[in-house]
This record gives sequence, C-alpha cells and structure tokens, in this order.
Amino acid sequence: MKKTFAILSMLLVVTSCSGDSNTPASNNAGGSQTDSTSAAPNAAAQVVANAESSPTPGFNADRNAYFGDLHVHTMYSFDAFIFGTTSSPSDAYTFAKGGTIAHPAGFEMKLDVPLDFYGVSDHAFYLGVLREMANPDSEISKHEIADGMSTLGDSDDRGSKFLRILSFIRSERATEINDPNIVKSAWDDIIESANRHNDPGNFTTFVAYEYTTTADDGGNLHRNVIFRDDNVPDLPFSRLDSRNPEDLWKWMDRNRAEGIESLAIPHNSNGSNGNMFMLTDWSGNPLDSAYANQRMRNEPLIEITQVKGTSDTHPALSPNDEWADFEIMPFMVASHLASQPEGSYVREAYRNGITLQEQQGFNPFKFGVIGSSDTHNATYAGDEDDYWSKVGLRDSDGVKRGSVPLDEPSDNGELYADTYYNTWSASGLAGVWAEENTRAAIYDAFRRKETFGTSGPRIKARFFSGYDLPEIDDADLASKAYSGGVTMGSDLLADADRAPSFIAWVARDPNSAPLQRVQIIKGWVEDGESQETVYDVACSDGGIVDPVSHRCPDNGAQVNLADCRISSGLGAAELKARWQDPEYDATQNAFYYLRAMENPSCRWSTWDAIRAGVEPRSDLAATIQERVWSSPIWITPSQ
Amino acid sequence: MPRILKQPLLWFCLIASVLFAADSWLSVSRIEIYVSAALRERLGLLWETQTGMIASKNELDSLVQNWIEEEVLFQEALRLGLDQEDSIVRRRMVQKLNFIAESEPVAVPETRVLEDFYSRNLQDYTLPRRYSMRQLYFQTSPDAQSALAAIDRGESAAGLGESSMLSGSYAYRSSFDLNATFGSGFAGQLQNLSANSWHGPLKSSFGYHLVLITGIHEQEVTPLRAISAQVLKDYRQSGQDSARQRYLANLLRKYEVVVEQQ
Repeated sequence: MKKTFAILSMLLVVTSCSGDSNTPASNNAGGSQTDSTSAAPNAAAQVVANAESSPTPGFNADRNAYFGDLHVHTMYSFDAFIFGTTSSPSDAYTFAKGGTIAHPAGFEMKLDVPLDFYGVSDHAFYLGVLREMANPDSEISKHEIADGMSTLGDSDDRGSKFLRILSFIRSERATEINDPNIVKSAWDDIIESANRHNDPGNFTTFVAYEYTTTADDGGNLHRNVIFRDDNVPDLPFSRLDSRNPEDLWKWMDRNRAEGIESLAIPHNSNGSNGNMFMLTDWSGNPLDSAYANQRMRNEPLIEITQVKGTSDTHPALSPNDEWADFEIMPFMVASHLASQPEGSYVREAYRNGITLQEQQGFNPFKFGVIGSSDTHNATYAGDEDDYWSKVGLRDSDGVKRGSVPLDEPSDNGELYADTYYNTWSASGLAGVWAEENTRAAIYDAFRRKETFGTSGPRIKARFFSGYDLPEIDDADLASKAYSGGVTMGSDLLADADRAPSFIAWVARDPNSAPLQRVQIIKGWVEDGESQETVYDVACSDGGIVDPVSHRCPDNGAQVNLADCRISSGLGAAELKARWQDPEYDATQNAFYYLRAMENPSCRWSTWDAIRAGVEPRSDLAATIQERVWSSPIWITPSQ
Repeated sequence: MPRILKQPLLWFCLIASVLFAADSWLSVSRIEIYVSAALRERLGLLWETQTGMIASKNELDSLVQNWIEEEVLFQEALRLGLDQEDSIVRRRMVQKLNFIAESEPVAVPETRVLEDFYSRNLQDYTLPRRYSMRQLYFQTSPDAQSALAAIDRGESAAGLGESSMLSGSYAYRSSFDLNATFGSGFAGQLQNLSANSWHGPLKSSFGYHLVLITGIHEQEVTPLRAISAQVLKDYRQSGQDSARQRYLANLLRKYEVVVEQQ
C-alpha cells in the first residue's frame, strides 16, 4: 500500500510535468507572426478593391486609343529619393489625373491633358530603404553605407551618393541593407495607392515595379513588371533574388499558376551593350524554343522609347533609314561607357527573330511596343516645351542638363556641364487600343500587343493587314478593318494565291505639330539573311510617294529657331493609306510595322536655350520629328 | 505524531513531489518555440517560390532550423525591447494596425449621413457647362462652306463630311474635354452658337468642322439620387480615414496622455 502511494504521487508529479509540454504553448508567437504578416496586404487589398463592371460609359467595340505611362518612379526608388524626390505613389497618380505636384527644385508640374492610365514602377531592390536611411532614428541609418544620407546636399553630393549605392548593389554585401520590413511596408503602400486611385471608365492604375538587373559587363537588362489586377505577390522579385531574367520569368510563371497574372516590359535595350537581344541565354547557350516560349509568355511588349533615348534602331544598324538617327542615347545606363548597338535595338531583334523562326522554328523577339517615361520625379515628362527631365535635382534646369552654358567655363575649359543628360529625351508615351478604360480591357490590349509608342505627343496610330480590308475612305473603316483583317501585334498567314493589303492610319495630337508622313517598315528573310526597308505610304500636303525611292517629297516644313514657331499651313491632321508591298513574297517570313512623323519642331534643349536667352547648342539636334511606332504584324509563310 | 509521518518513504515522496513541482514550474517559464505542420509547409512553399525547386527533406530540415534560430533571436530581441527603439519597426507596426483598422467594414450609412456628406462636398458633384453635338469634318474651309450651303438647301447632313478618327457625335463634353480632343481654342467657338442648327466652319487642329449642337447643358449639381453610388464610394473612401479615426479615438480612451509644459 505504501508502495502504491509512492508510485501514485510520482506519477502525479510526472504527468503534471509532461502535461504542460503537451499543451499548445501560449507563446507560439512565431506562427501567428508569420500569418499576420501575410494577412496585412490582403486586408489592404480588400478595403480598396474596385469591382469592375463592364461596359463603362466609354465602351467602344471598335476600341478607343488610351494613353499612359507605365514607368514611373517615386520616393520609394533608391535613386529617386537620393535625387530629391519625395512624391509618393499617391502623389504620382494625383498628377496623372490632372493634379499639380511640386518638383524637388520647387516649381510646379501639371499636365495640360490628364493621362488615361498610369503605373508606378519603383525599383524592387532597396524599395523604400533610402528613405529610411535618411531618417537618423532608424536602425538602417547606422549602416556604414547610409553615412550622409540624412544630409543629402547639392546635385554633386547626390550624384556621388547615388554612385555609392550603385556600386554597393553590385557588391557581395548588397543584401545587407535590403530590410524586408521596409520593402514590405513600401510595397503595401504602392498596392494600396494604385487600388485607391483606380477608377474604371475614367482612369486606370496598375500595380507594378521595376526588376532592375544588369549583365556582368554592366549592360542594362531592366524590366517593369505589370500586374493585371490587385491579385499580387507578397513581395516583388528583385535582382537580389536573382540577376538572371530567366529566373524572373520562372517566378512569373509560378505566380501565374496561382492566379497572379503579370507581364514584364524590358526597357533601355539601347543601354544594354548588346545584352537585351543577345542570341544566347544567360548561361551562354544558344536560344531554343523553350526559351522563346517562356520569354514571349512573360514579355509580350518592349519599351521602344523613353527619356533615356529611343531604341527603334541605330544609324549603324539601319544605314538606309534616313530617320534612324533619332534621340540616340549612346551610353550604357548611368555611365559614360559606350553601349554596343548590335543586340541593343528593337528592329534588329525583330530581324533576328524572324531569321530564327525561319531556320529553327521559334521566335524569341516577337514583342509589341509601348513608350513610357522612366521619370524619377513621379511625373510623366514628354513635352519638349515643358520638360523637367527625370532625375530630380540632378537635371532640373538647362545648365545641369547641358543645354545652357555654365555660368563660367569649367576648369578644363568646357562651356557646358559634363553630363549625359543632353542625350536624354522628352519622350515616352504608351498607347493602347482597348474597348474601355479599365484594368481588364487595357491589360488585354497589352497581351494582344495592340499597342503603340510615341515620343511624347498623343498621336493615334491604327494598323491592319488582311485579304479583305475596306477601301480607305470607308465611313466604317475601323470596324470593317477589324473584321476583314488583323491588327497590330498579330500574325497573318501568307496565302500563296494573293498578297495582303495594309491599312496605315494616323491622327495627329491636336495639341502638337501636324503630321508629315506615314511609313511602313518591313523586315524579311531572304536566302537566310534578314533585310529591312522603309516605305513611305502616305504624304502630307498632297505629296505623292515616288515609286522608285518610296519617299514622299519634302513638304518644306520649317522651324523658326528664334522662337520655335513652326510653319503654318503645312502638314496633315490625319494621314491614311491602303497599301500593298511591291516586293511581297508569300514564301518569306516577314514583319511590318508603322512609323509616322510629325513636322519638325524644337527639341527640349532648344526651348531651354531660347528661354535662357542663349544660342541653342550646335552639337545637339535643334529640332526633332516627334513620331509614333506601332507593334508589328508578322507574316508567316504558307506551308 | 501519527505513525505515518514517521515513515521515511513518505518524506521521500513529499520531497520528491516538491522537487518535481519546482522543476515543472521552472519548465513552464521557458518560452516554447512551436513548429507547426502548417509552418513547415509554408517554409517549403516559400523556398519553392524563391528557387523554383521543391525543398528536399534535408533542405526543409535546415529551413526549419534556420527559422527556429531566427525565432529565438526575434524573441530575445523583443525581450530586450529592441523593437521599441527602431523607427522602422515602429512605423511598420503602426501601418499594420492602420490596415486592420481600415479593413473594418464601413456600415451602410443612413440616408441622412450620405446627404450630409454630399452637401459638404458639393463641388465634387458639380459639372461644368457641357455640350452634346454632331460634327462633320473637312480638310478645307471651302469644302466645309459648300457642305453648309448644301445643308441650308435642304440636303441631308448624313452623307456629308470626310471620314476621320474623330467621332461623328460627342455627348456631354466640357470645354476642357473638347479642347483636349480638337485642340485648344476649339471650345471657345461654340460659346454663342444656337442649338439645333448647323454652324461653321469651326477651326480645329484637324481642319474645319460643321457643328450641330444638340444640347447645351449648363453647369449643374448632379442630384444625389443620380450619383448615389459615386457618393457612397467617395464616402467609403473618406471613411477609410474616419474608420481609422474611430479606432484611434477608442484606443485613446485607454491612455492618459501627459504633455510636459515648456
């Protein structure tokens, strides 16, 4: 009995000991922490989710042109913050809708006509981090790289601190300062701001960010990732996750499998030093159909023009194109190092793409085009005569951007600031043809590649090809062209018995210069080699295209460089043509895209000089011809 | 003293029980790190998202081990109060609480509340003067003039004008909208035109237009009943702030705020 009691009391003690460890601990903070972190953005998304109801009042089955900018940096981008930008994503959307916001240099920025859509696309790496570094109370401000970030000074000081971060991101220690709490906080605000400003039928926002990666030689491989709706990942995929763009596509594919739909838009191929359209993959292997499929599934569009220059083509690549020398930015991004043209321009990529199509049966470069600004001031900057460039206090006036002489020559006798900002452009607008101004309709247009890009003005371009297109003066031109053919971004199957027609139709921006000419640019493969040629197809002022040179006569439009007035009475409000390719061959792989030019007008640098009361700089183009590019139509030979 | 208290075995049991109880009490005071199956699965998924590969058993074990170490450090950091000196942690926690506060569903407001909100924000629901019109487009002024003469002779306007990307009719467009579409200066020409007869030519950036104004809509306040959905949306939008403010007001009752005088 005594023995039994002893055992009982031992058992009691033992069970009371072990009992505790079986009870779920009150302190399982780990689990609940993890859960609440993932729940926060969902809560945010739910508050502001905009149920889209279709159709909205502007619905048009023949589609409307909508204009926007998908490349906009705010205070959350490491560089924008260093350059002085304190505007938030919400401020950026307010501006795009017609509101006024302040430039870091103090002046006010406002659009004459609001935009139809806008996407804030801050750099994913160090998202929001520099802003926290500038706060001396933060832990991150104590990191050695943060030294002096709370006392950002003049333009030169900001320039050197920008370079310091730039070299840190390329160092082995890059991840040290990428605090996920800071990134998450900024990302949540970006999502919330986009959702709050989205207004179906009137103004569309996209949740977006920039995947800012570079090749080993520093060549630019940047892409903007655009999400279809408010179903977005917890955190953006950045160069700190992988510098290999193919890993970005894998991540996008995996997201897509979970219902998160996105596309990526490369930009500044011109500054890629041949890396953007390289004919090998990241590991150096030849391209194959799996690569092409994955790239095209994730990157249906490319940014053909922006502030850091235009990437249509280069004079060295298109020696017979008299308009190839347009806003060429010859450097690798954020440097004075030359960027090799081969592998860096869109037209050459199209040519290589159809050559691969012919020889190996896949095309990794079958993308449409848009323009966008890449502003780092939160504000679209596409007007030559109202230009604020894009890097805050670094290029906020003519002297800093090299269009107006220095107060006194520099130590080595230079009259102008030593800068690459003078090679930059007031450029980059995205155009889409969509039924209505909603996320769904505009995103679908991106996916169809029914898009065009302009160097700033709101020029509208339609482009069709087919075997049953209407006459050019038909009152229902658009609707009959849609039913009788295909539009920009599409494929057309060649027919051995008949040649397709094309309709090229362009309307001016009513608040910019009139149109001078419309062109169709053709690329094709002949005897295994790709070729290109430029056809003028519609001329202003009654001009007739010369059947041999395929050129319009000069319409004589001039610019008065004393005050930037342009010739009155010259140029066209609209130009359109129904055209057939005189060299058409149904057995060839080919692409065709539209380009149209305005009459010449003053470049931003000339406006700067005139306003400063000085002569325009002689080594910069005094005038430019603003223009529009459409996505191509590809012709696949009949078997 | 009862016999039983003289038993050494009893004393042994009592002392042992006390020792076990003390030990178990000490055990409870240790912070437990609980690795649930759900957490393990989540770590595996995260790895898969980041690398594209399914985590092997070894990788998963090492992910869990890393998580445990991180969790221990996190708990220790909390215990040392490191979260209280860091402005980023502070801001992040405030942001999260704001999201939670704002996610509280806003009750459908009473009609009176909505009416009040509407009248306080009347400028947002006031439309400027707008026009509804048909237009015929011509590249030259003489062509436009002869078309106008034809209309005056009784010819139908339907077959006249040149095709263009412009629409044949526009409804409820403000001067700002029309100038954006036709070029600045266009809308000013509509000011003194009478409705329901063709006028022109009017000059635009595109050329010349004959215009038939079918309606002039003076500046007006949109009645609440016609725009109640929009007003409700705006109210809810602004409600984000007031939900937060209500939440904050409730919290403030729990605090005694003392501000030291200068």
